[in-house]
Amino acid sequence: MNGSTIVFYLLGLMSIVSAVLSVTSRQIFRSAIYLLFTLIGIAGLYFWMDYQFIAAVQIVVYVGGIAVLIIFSIFLTQQSGEQLPEVPVSRAVAGAIAVMSGLALVLVLMDRYGFSGLSDPGPAPSVAAIGEKMLDINGYALPFEVVSILLLAAMVGCIVIAMRKKSQV
Amino acid sequence: MFIVDYIKSIYGAMKSMGTGMKRTAYYFTHHKEIITEQYPDNRDTLVLPERFRGEVVMTHTEQNEHRCTGCTACELACPNGTIKIVTKFDISPEGKKKKAVDKFIYHLELCTMCNLCIEACPTNAIKMAQSFEHSVFDRSQLTKVLNQPGSKLEEGVE
Amino acid sequence: MISFSEIASSVHQWLNSHLSPAWVLTVEMVIVGVAAIALFALLGLVLVIMERKVAAYMQIRLGPNRVGPKGMLQSTADTVKLLVKEGITPAGADKFMFNLAPFIAMITAMLLLAPLGFAKDFQIWDLNIGVLYVTAVSSLSVIAILMAGWSSNNKYSLLGAMRSGAQIVSYELSAGLAIMTIVVLTGSLQLSEIVESQRNGWWIFKGHLPALIAFVIFIIAVTAETNRAPFDLAEAESELTAGFHTEYSGMKFALFFLAEYINVFTVCAIGATLFLGGWMPFHIGNWEGFNHVMDYIPSSIWFFGKTFFLIFVIMWFRWTFPRLRIDQLLDLEWKYLLPISMFNIILVTVIAIYHLHG
Repeated sequence: MNGSTIVFYLLGLMSIVSAVLSVTSRQIFRSAIYLLFTLIGIAGLYFWMDYQFIAAVQIVVYVGGIAVLIIFSIFLTQQSGEQLPEVPVSRAVAGAIAVMSGLALVLVLMDRYGFSGLSDPGPAPSVAAIGEKMLDINGYALPFEVVSILLLAAMVGCIVIAMRKKSQV
Repeated sequence: MFIVDYIKSIYGAMKSMGTGMKRTAYYFTHHKEIITEQYPDNRDTLVLPERFRGEVVMTHTEQNEHRCTGCTACELACPNGTIKIVTKFDISPEGKKKKAVDKFIYHLELCTMCNLCIEACPTNAIKMAQSFEHSVFDRSQLTKVLNQPGSKLEEGVE
Repeated sequence: MISFSEIASSVHQWLNSHLSPAWVLTVEMVIVGVAAIALFALLGLVLVIMERKVAAYMQIRLGPNRVGPKGMLQSTADTVKLLVKEGITPAGADKFMFNLAPFIAMITAMLLLAPLGFAKDFQIWDLNIGVLYVTAVSSLSVIAILMAGWSSNNKYSLLGAMRSGAQIVSYELSAGLAIMTIVVLTGSLQLSEIVESQRNGWWIFKGHLPALIAFVIFIIAVTAETNRAPFDLAEAESELTAGFHTEYSGMKFALFFLAEYINVFTVCAIGATLFLGGWMPFHIGNWEGFNHVMDYIPSSIWFFGKTFFLIFVIMWFRWTFPRLRIDQLLDLEWKYLLPISMFNIILVTVIAIYHLHG
């Protein structure tokens, strides 16, 4: 067991423990924060694998964007400071069954294919390579451009709404 | 034109920001302008503004004479009862009785330094002093008698 | 001349000759950690006293002048005071979150230190996505503020946290776009390459007008992102009684305070790296004599000089402008900074395509 493995298990433990805490916590704000730690743990795994671009994007999108959005909506919710009601037994059983079947699926897949791993995963793609692939006509040019247009439209829409004069409202 | 207004507003904002920052930069580089008084280190050289009001005092001449006639105009002018004048009757050389001040009692602890008593005084007997270190251990020390013992009215003040 | 990179490489060689590679890595990590903490402590002390002195001189005052020569030990004395103070956790607070928040703030500030190039060839971690890493990690700092505001169980703290959240989320856009202009010009996200691309001139000079606009927008946006006046609505002493850290005391408060100053340092260091050439000395065209003189100044001094100049500019803002209202703050971002930086990025793309930059 070398240092790299220890780091891997620490990150995995952090993700799993905070994921479990996130669904079992009775306070919604705490759940959101634990979810955030799970996402950070996953970003840490990407860093561990040396896929730095994906790790950074994970942090920007999930931690900086979505988690903050969730926390904001919690802040704006009425009575969000109170404890959530106890989960009814029927729902807990249903949840347990869902989790178990998911776990069973994963275990079956693992049993069938095992953790062979790539003999040589190769170096992590550079940002330039990712960019070229994104704009390559035979690559992902169309989805990339569509998403870009969507985001641009959203941004322009924000500006237009912000710049509208008071009298027009 | 919307776009012209937009650019104008940006230009105006930049200009006013520049004005503000120029001022602070001027102060930052000109240490002569610093107004901090290093009290009590500079106690000996401290110069207070001329109109600073520290406490009410009564002026006395070298012959221990004051100008207070005991008219109580200051007592009436005072908004919060800081001044209390105890009068007595002097016998003038002609044998006539004349009202005069016996004790000019001044409660420093009540005084707000509003200057109304000084304005009210018809004979300029009292004025504002610049002393301001008034802290004492017992508040009774703040009740002062302003006319010095044995002092009398200056000649010719009515 | 002794340089940081030489010290680092000689330490590395010495360790390699005495220890096994795994231990070398561990020892080096410990050294980096200790150095980072030492830098933090030092920066905290220096920046606090600098802020107070700058503030005082701009307001025609003297500032701290009792502790040590010219009051230079004031922040040390304050630190000692904060260390011995009791850290109170309010009774109604979410205790775990309340005590965790200052550490999150501190960890985020520390993580941002990794990709900075402090001197020539002297960098903790030269990621190939350096700039993106900085943007990503700095977006984490809002989490600490939100946690602190929520768990304090205090309406002022919550309001402060929400304001700060809205502010950081919106100003991140224009800060990101301002950074993008330099990335477009350089064609790389790696901070060491960005510095290298400025060997023949800093971007602020050879990037023409767009780089200048981007620089101004960057400075405004990072002032807002670090919650400093005139954008300090999150802590607004006069209306929110210090906002998200109302309930904090002692060392936990000090951690927030320190994290704020470290964040200011980091964003200024990023600004210096992107626009002012990092550790690159100042060169004028082909004037050999002048350039040689500039080369004699150590690269670390160039880096820290530029960073502290930007810190001074941000302090200058703080002590000149009054605080904005929340609607004015969002107006500034959505009506002015964001449209301008979007047009700016189009301009800079044109420049980059036609190779108009040096």
